[in-house]
Amino acid sequence: MKQLWLIPLLPLAGFLLNGLVALLFASARAENERGHDQPKARLPYAQRLFHGVVGVGSVGLAAVLSFAAVVPYTLSSMASPEGLPPVVQNVYTWITAGAYTVDVAFRLDPLSALMLSFVTLVGTLIHVYSVGYMQEEEGYGRYFSFLNLFMFAMLTLVLADNLPFLFVGWEGVGLCSYLLIGYYYDKDFPAAAGKKAFIANRVGDFGMVLGIFGVFALFGRGDFSFVELAKHQVLAGDAPLGVYAVCLLLFLGACGKSAQFPLYVWLPDAMAGPTPVSALIHAATMVTAGVYLVARCSTLFVLAPDALTLVAWIGAGTAIFAATIGLAQNDIKKVLAYSTVSQLGYMFLACGVGAFSAGIFHVFTHAFFKACLFLGSGSVIMSMHHEQDMRKMGALSRRIPQTFWTMLVSTLAIAGVFPLAGFFSKDMILGSAAASGHWALYAVGLFTAGLTAFYMFRIVSMTFFGTARGHSESAHESPATMTVPLWILAACAAVAGFAGVPAALGGSDRIARFLDASVAHPEIHEMSRGLEISLMLLSLGVAVTGLVWAWRWYGKASGPAGAVSPEAEAFFGKTGALGRLVADKWNVDEGIEALVLSPFRKIGTFLWRGFDALFIDGIANASAFLVELLGDLLRFFTTGHVRNYALAFTLGFAALVAYVWMS
Amino acid sequence: MTGAMPGVAPMGVPPGAFLVVATLLFAIGLAGVLLKRNALSIFLSIELMMNAVNLLFLTYARMHGDLSGQMIVFFVIAVAAAEAAVGLAIFVALFRTHRTLDVDKAALLKW
Amino acid sequence: MPAWSGELVVFGFASALALVFALLMVVVKTPVRSVLSLIATFFGLSVLAILLAAPFIAALQIFVYAGAILVLFLFVIMLLNLREEAAEKDDRPVQRTLGLLVALALGGLLAGATLRAPVPPRGVPTRASIPVPDEIPALGRLLFSDYLFAFEVLSLILLVAAVGALLLSKRRFE
Repeated sequence: MKQLWLIPLLPLAGFLLNGLVALLFASARAENERGHDQPKARLPYAQRLFHGVVGVGSVGLAAVLSFAAVVPYTLSSMASPEGLPPVVQNVYTWITAGAYTVDVAFRLDPLSALMLSFVTLVGTLIHVYSVGYMQEEEGYGRYFSFLNLFMFAMLTLVLADNLPFLFVGWEGVGLCSYLLIGYYYDKDFPAAAGKKAFIANRVGDFGMVLGIFGVFALFGRGDFSFVELAKHQVLAGDAPLGVYAVCLLLFLGACGKSAQFPLYVWLPDAMAGPTPVSALIHAATMVTAGVYLVARCSTLFVLAPDALTLVAWIGAGTAIFAATIGLAQNDIKKVLAYSTVSQLGYMFLACGVGAFSAGIFHVFTHAFFKACLFLGSGSVIMSMHHEQDMRKMGALSRRIPQTFWTMLVSTLAIAGVFPLAGFFSKDMILGSAAASGHWALYAVGLFTAGLTAFYMFRIVSMTFFGTARGHSESAHESPATMTVPLWILAACAAVAGFAGVPAALGGSDRIARFLDASVAHPEIHEMSRGLEISLMLLSLGVAVTGLVWAWRWYGKASGPAGAVSPEAEAFFGKTGALGRLVADKWNVDEGIEALVLSPFRKIGTFLWRGFDALFIDGIANASAFLVELLGDLLRFFTTGHVRNYALAFTLGFAALVAYVWMS
Repeated sequence: MTGAMPGVAPMGVPPGAFLVVATLLFAIGLAGVLLKRNALSIFLSIELMMNAVNLLFLTYARMHGDLSGQMIVFFVIAVAAAEAAVGLAIFVALFRTHRTLDVDKAALLKW
Repeated sequence: MPAWSGELVVFGFASALALVFALLMVVVKTPVRSVLSLIATFFGLSVLAILLAAPFIAALQIFVYAGAILVLFLFVIMLLNLREEAAEKDDRPVQRTLGLLVALALGGLLAGATLRAPVPPRGVPTRASIPVPDEIPALGRLLFSDYLFAFEVLSLILLVAAVGALLLSKRRFE
């Protein structure tokens, strides 16, 4: 199709319409209908209808257009042997500065087609879900307008043909993340969490911007044709310092956006926002932008193998690190947040060993099951009357069956159980790690998979099995607007994996071949089929072990109320200091506070008190003081006595005469 | 400056001497203005200064053979008379209210 | 050193008289004595004026200045019954010393300056040239020709002064 630019434009229009209506009708009604201290009320039906239709409609239409573009492209691309060339639509010349030009241009190639497909699909489903979830909110209109704005930014990011335009979308999603995390702006914690997200992103953005400059400096252009240039310019292993620097800088940007260590600290706090926001932004789309960036610039990264190794290790380290924290969290959304960080680590691990398509494949499958998990948790929270602590849940499997079954499917998917989606994507990652000889990374990944299975099934067990705690007795199922998206996402989580069935199992590795046109695929040693199947069985076994273990500890009907799992308590008691450290999230936030924030605050305070107040104000005050002093001194000449004045007169005259005499 | 001119006898005394005397008288008058406290005394000193200037004018008139200098002195004397009359009237009026002619007591314009 | 002559002697006496009594005028405390000293000074100045071929001015000096103005001063002093200057402690030492110094300095400076002033060349004798001994008629002619306007204004000034003095010295109740 010829109008790629319509795809981001539709949600933008939705944002403007929703925003306008929300602003127009907000203040007038708020002051009239309720007093100052009364709780906020839901909007009138007509307005909610408008916001819902515009919000869902704009994104839905964008989704339709996306599929209209993607499907033909994909089909013809798979029909031809080496794939289709990318479709670039140049709309407008944005910047011309000397030798550099930046256009507003959209690009459709296998990578962006894949991203586009799930971003629009998941986005639409989450918008539908929000209609039900956010009904009672007075800020309904504001919510939908921001959500539409986010879709605009994300679609821009995915469809951009050059780095600066991608950066526009990049910043836009960061902004919307801040706006939506801080949706409940009248409370302290969400507002602070929004700021934290934005600032942590900013640290990454700093690297990103420098990286973009570097790309311009190295290649003279910012559009993604530079990847072709990159291939021809330098041989692998011989990359100059510039390429290394650019890769590291771009990866810094990716870390900020995709929450890798140590810039992940904003993601758990971001759970203060509404749950659909967590699902869309912090699970399916925005956080994957970093992986997308690395995949886009994959040919560049391939030229700097040490940088790639760093990427892999940071990814793996973050994966296991976040998984350990997830074990000890009791808030359902927090566990999911750490799980997201961990899975993102997997994606970077994949990219780091050269299997960029595996990373993107995991992005694809992760979007489905993670979104489903988050939306499911939202459903649970709603049924439990806004309770989020899992220790106060339990035995909900019969009471909210739809939520239960969809979450179960997604949990099995993320744990990597055959034949659900997670199995194939995770396996592709671990298989590539093993095939490229990084056995240490493989071990870390395998262990983390076990942890993942464990803590995910812990959620399911604590929430749906065991005895009913808290409000569990009065829980009821959510409305259809919420459950239908859950089913659709669960279905996707189940079958999405079949896009990438590896050759070892008889499949054709379709997704990897599809993506080959747009991402780098450095040579990976082939593994023997036997080894590959053994590894698959191994990871499957690890996953099942984790699942069963979690069920045994958390799933049984527990004893007295309050103690969810005596075995867990006992184990925790034995771990001692290490256990406490894990429970305290490894004190990373405190560490950042002490190492970074505190010194900055001290510097700022010093500059304020010491420099500004003392020095600069001192100068101003001193000049006033000097003037006063001068005045006081000169005052003595105004004696009021005529004779003094005569004397002064005479002195002046004498001086004059002397001067005339001298000259 | 010899003081000689055609048609007029030359000056017997060097004109410089007159100038010095006039200047000294002026200085003395000035000292009186600055040092005396009584308003009348100050006024007298001013009169002395004016006379010193008159002498200067006369000297220059004689030096250049120009009667204009003497005219000026004539007018100065007349005006001095008028001024003295008015000034003394002011002093009288002041004395009636303040009972003193001490200049130092008139320091109301002090800061 | 010019030749010894009568003029020089007279000049010497007259200037000495003038200077000495001027100093006395500044020094003495009683206003009456100041006035009397000044009168003596004026006599000296008169003589100097005669020496400078200005007999009319010399006469004027005695008649008007010494005879009228200073007598007026005496009248006022008597009227106000001014005593000797009160021997209050002078709380303005700075003024005294500085004033003295400045006056001395200025005296020296001015003397030097006047002596150094260049003398412009003589012009053609004009109507204002001093014909000796017909100086007074010449003065009269000058007064009523070139200086006529000033003369008329002068009379006005005198009138104004008379009226002003009268008004100023009136008592309140009238």
